[in-house]
Amino acid sequence: MTKPATDDDMTNRTATHGPAADRVPGLDAAAGPFGRLREQLLGAAERFGAGPLSDILAGIVEDVDRALREPLEIFPVCHHSPSSATAMVRRLREKRPKVIYLELCEDLRPLLDELRNCTLPVALQSFASEIDGFPESWAPLSVIAPITEASAEYQAISYALTTSGVELVLVDRSTDHVFQWEPRDADKDDSDSGDSSGSADDEAALHGDAVGVEIGDLRPRFAELEEHLLHHGKVRHWSEWWDQYVEQPLVDADYDTYRQVMVLIGSLFRRLRPEGSARTRVDEDRERYMWTRIREHLASSGADPADCLYVCGAFHAASRVAEFGLHGATGTFEISPRTATKWQYGLIPSSHSAIEAQFGLAPGSVSIAAATWAKALQRSGIRPFRLTASAPRKARVKPTKPTVTVTDRLSQFLTTAPTPHGIDEQELLGWCVDIVRLARKNGYAASTADAIAVYETSVLLAGIRGRRRPTPYDFQDAAVTCIEKDTVPGRRDIARLCEILLGGDRVGKVGYDALPPLARDVLDRLRPLCLDLKKRTKQRALLDLDAEPHLRPCSDLLWILRRLLPHGVAEPIMGSRRLGERAIQESWDLAIGRNMRAIVELGYEGVTVEQVLEQRLRKAVHAPDATAAGALAAVEDSLLYLDSRRFTNELGARAVELLSAERTVDDAPEVLRRARMLLAYYQTTEPELPEWLKAFVTAGYAHYCTLLPTAFTDDATGARQVAAMLGFLLGMENLALSLGCDHTQLELAVQQSHPEDPAKVALLWAAQTQLGLLPLDELRRRCDDLLDNPLVVPSFPLYLSGFVQALEPVPSLAPLVVEILSKAFARLPDTVLLPWLPKLIGTLKDHAAEMVPVLVREAGRTFPATLRALDDWTPPWSAAPAASAPSARATDAGPAGDLLAEHPATCDAVAALLGLPPDWPTPSSPASKANPLLAEHPATAEAVAALLT
Amino acid sequence: MSDQMLRAPAEVKYADELDYLESVDDAPKPFSWRLSPRMVRTFILGSERSDGLDREIPQKWFGDRTFVERAIVTLASDRGLLLIGDPGTGKSWLAELLAAAICRNSTLVVQGTAGTTEDHIKYSWNVSMVIAKGQSRESLIPSPIMTAMEQGVIGRFEELTRASSDVQDALISILSEKYISIPELDTDNTVFAKPGFSIIATANSRDRGVNDLSSALKRRFNFVRIPVVTSKKAEAEIVRFRTAELLKRHRIDLEVAPSLLEVLLQSFADLRAAAASARSDDEKLESALSTAEQIGVLEDAILHSQFFGERELRPETLASSLVGSLARRAPEDLAILNKFWHGVIEPRSKKEAGPWQGFLEGGREALAKLS
Repeated sequence: MTKPATDDDMTNRTATHGPAADRVPGLDAAAGPFGRLREQLLGAAERFGAGPLSDILAGIVEDVDRALREPLEIFPVCHHSPSSATAMVRRLREKRPKVIYLELCEDLRPLLDELRNCTLPVALQSFASEIDGFPESWAPLSVIAPITEASAEYQAISYALTTSGVELVLVDRSTDHVFQWEPRDADKDDSDSGDSSGSADDEAALHGDAVGVEIGDLRPRFAELEEHLLHHGKVRHWSEWWDQYVEQPLVDADYDTYRQVMVLIGSLFRRLRPEGSARTRVDEDRERYMWTRIREHLASSGADPADCLYVCGAFHAASRVAEFGLHGATGTFEISPRTATKWQYGLIPSSHSAIEAQFGLAPGSVSIAAATWAKALQRSGIRPFRLTASAPRKARVKPTKPTVTVTDRLSQFLTTAPTPHGIDEQELLGWCVDIVRLARKNGYAASTADAIAVYETSVLLAGIRGRRRPTPYDFQDAAVTCIEKDTVPGRRDIARLCEILLGGDRVGKVGYDALPPLARDVLDRLRPLCLDLKKRTKQRALLDLDAEPHLRPCSDLLWILRRLLPHGVAEPIMGSRRLGERAIQESWDLAIGRNMRAIVELGYEGVTVEQVLEQRLRKAVHAPDATAAGALAAVEDSLLYLDSRRFTNELGARAVELLSAERTVDDAPEVLRRARMLLAYYQTTEPELPEWLKAFVTAGYAHYCTLLPTAFTDDATGARQVAAMLGFLLGMENLALSLGCDHTQLELAVQQSHPEDPAKVALLWAAQTQLGLLPLDELRRRCDDLLDNPLVVPSFPLYLSGFVQALEPVPSLAPLVVEILSKAFARLPDTVLLPWLPKLIGTLKDHAAEMVPVLVREAGRTFPATLRALDDWTPPWSAAPAASAPSARATDAGPAGDLLAEHPATCDAVAALLGLPPDWPTPSSPASKANPLLAEHPATAEAVAALLT
Repeated sequence: MSDQMLRAPAEVKYADELDYLESVDDAPKPFSWRLSPRMVRTFILGSERSDGLDREIPQKWFGDRTFVERAIVTLASDRGLLLIGDPGTGKSWLAELLAAAICRNSTLVVQGTAGTTEDHIKYSWNVSMVIAKGQSRESLIPSPIMTAMEQGVIGRFEELTRASSDVQDALISILSEKYISIPELDTDNTVFAKPGFSIIATANSRDRGVNDLSSALKRRFNFVRIPVVTSKKAEAEIVRFRTAELLKRHRIDLEVAPSLLEVLLQSFADLRAAAASARSDDEKLESALSTAEQIGVLEDAILHSQFFGERELRPETLASSLVGSLARRAPEDLAILNKFWHGVIEPRSKKEAGPWQGFLEGGREALAKLS
């Protein structure tokens, strides 16, 4: 297909569907094996009134006739149908075809050989995370095709793979085409992926959100017809109807009857469904695709069509596209090339409930089909084909050439009431006893009396529903009626228990050899744990890393798995992995077997988990929305999980690039936190900081200095971000200066900052104090002024918020913050204080790790520890100030001070100019206090002198 | 006969249909049943063309077919039937129909209340006769359940969980041994149940925890849970059916416009959605918002229109009836309705116009009067 289906195409295609086109050329209405049946049906249609009914009734007979006359034998199947499977076994044993064409995505073929290593049900998966040619929002793409044992396709596959000289050709569109043919404007989730999202059950969620494809989807796509059939069949679900009216009557039918009935049903559903829907168009294109592929193969291989078998859904067997058949139209359909999307293939475990949830089947129906299949095998004695790991290919037995004669089996089938195939008495009795036992296990107060009641009710229900024997569904209803009371005591209700009883939910396993290399590698590397990781239950692993150092690689692997896989696959119960820490004991809950799909899908990304992690980290730091904080997180991950200095340095270098390119400071708190952590790690473990980290500190210093004035004034930047920037600048200043940064850059940046927001003003004051630009007393005085000014009081809490934030960049400010907070609580009116309190608590709670310890420690130092002491306590800031000490700046002693003191003329002149008295404080010599002390205790000084001389 | 009763029981009301079904029913019948199980189903769920009856039997109970089938087979078995569900889901109606179809007598009913005693379930004495003639079968007053046993028909127990636990337990021996002893009498002192006797009880799932059934009694009942009708189509059908019945009973010739029915159903659906998302009891209406409640609202509006209005059901009357029926607690219910009217009905009336506008006005007025 090169072009999407247009209306014109539809006109052309539907032109082939008219009644005239349905007539088989050269076949008179009354002739042929189905002539009598056709006449009967037309007669019936006339009695109901002519019109479309006669077309439909005549059409379905012609469809059957046409499908049966096709030189390439068409084998119509229905999905998860035991009768299809038994008919297939019989037919394969009889015909022994050389080539089997199967309606399954053609690119899944290599996977089929791996089925021999699996326990069914498993699903063939095609997966693409890197997509090309599809909308980005569709990624990742995933298609699954579940395979169960009780299916015709599995029998065909097993036959082909276990018999020498048999070729198996998949002819349906590739998985790439599945998505190519999806409407682009529709939401991907609305496609035929079933309603798996609704199911909370673990087993039902095995397929994830993959799109499901299956062979032989046979269901009326005409809601009213389905409703009608269910209503008159006195059944609740389509699967139940199918089982009762098609499956059971056909399970022991001969091949001709089976084939004719299936094509008839396929044709009926096809003719009754609404014309022109997108789904119909896709189905028809698939048929064109399949016939094109079949003809291509026949032409290239030169196989005799008589030796071939085409296995497809009954719906497609009754196809009316022009390309149908070996002699159908050619050249009208062109297969479009695949997109550049890179597809990966693998097998994932599936389960009956996952299949039911994916394809909207009744709960328990696949299990019931499996049970019917087992029963049919036992009853008929046929030997099914089965793939086993070691079975050699058997020689092909010479086929018995069947003569192609078509005889009418439909008339008899349609006019005979189906033989009842309900459960037999012994089986029903067994179920009744078992369900009571199961119910008791699950907390129900059920007894033998209930078993008797269930038996009696099953029979009565079958009677009222017009069945001679109860079906499994009748039994389920009876069990619910008799045992279910007002509450469900345990996790499972009676309906669920019945499903478990009627075959249970079988969960498949993908064998070791069929796993991708990554999954095999994981299982191999975890072998020292001595656990059966393929079990579906949770396994507890205990790792004493001191006593058993050989388990350390297992521990490393488990931490990587935890990092890569969804929650619940590998969860540490004890032990942690943080920078600079190594646990000596760890215990893990492992659910590897239950989550094999996740590991298989991980396998599509690489060969080892380390490679996958490396790729993911690299991808994350090079993504268009990558941030410096994200890159630092990647560095941390690399240090924790990958022992690769080269790769860590690469990620670090990328972090530097990202930081320099960032124009916002939204991530500043995260950058600060991570940078501090990495610095602490490297300073304690390495003799020297790595180059990238040095570069990061210098680049960060310059970067934040540049952005500081803007951040102070920008409304969009919060106080928390500014505090983090200051934290970076002030906290790492020593390191930055040692690496060549210039302190003046920071001073200038602070001086250029003119915030208006009170919180940021408080932060600026704190920064100025730290830089020595604003004395502490001056800051205290400013705060007192604010509290004294009735116009500013309402906004005082905002200043306080700023000071609280300043605790991080300027921890030395803690005493002042405690003081201001105390004053605020003492002096602020309740109307101002109370509305702000929740915010303060919220801020402290959010940043508890950084702020609370500092604040509490300082408060502990300031306030008295006992109640009694509180009575006599005077806050240090209220105590009478000691003799006013000259300001630190003024008393600085040193060569400059000494010079000025010796030659005061210049300063006196300046003071006179400014109108100040020339009153200079005497510089206090640091030695002045020490001298008397040394004079009193000379021993130390003398000892030092003795040492030096 | 049904003309002389305010509300005729189902067996009287549908006597014709039952006679007809009995006349054509040739399938085997359990015990002394008047109809075979399949015909009971046909009577309750209505006939189909494929049944081959030459007369149409209308549907009387609207719900999943499986529930009816399970109920019928339970009555044909050895156990009692307990219909459990939210108020207004049609449990009692189903019980009545079942009893009427099976034994043509749906009136042997015990109503469970806090004041129900064991005498109501077993028997009591006519004191005057006891004084005059002494204790004998003549002076004994059998309970409806005892009568059902004697006649081999269905006895009904409404609201089983409203009766206290010790009274409920009186049913245990009746359901297992199928007889009642009268120790006061020396002879003829056991009443044995005849074949065909069974009990249909109903219980309100909202009463769970008030008087829980003992496990011994639970064992003797099959539980059939009747869910709240959530399908709008089915609910419309029920409301239409019941309203037609009420109109007929009151001999009122009044047409309910389909658009008004739609307004009622939609409002209830919206109110249910609001109740489902409420976080506390104060945020949802006290009413269970059941289908029966809808029928009540509609009946109230119809009667009001008939006797105080213009003999035509108007959206204003419907709104006022809805507010009147649902505003039980002041101010909680009024606040919820007020919010509902402004947040849901007002935008809807702007968007869809039609009867919604009158509905909006009527509701506002009713709320203003109540506030």
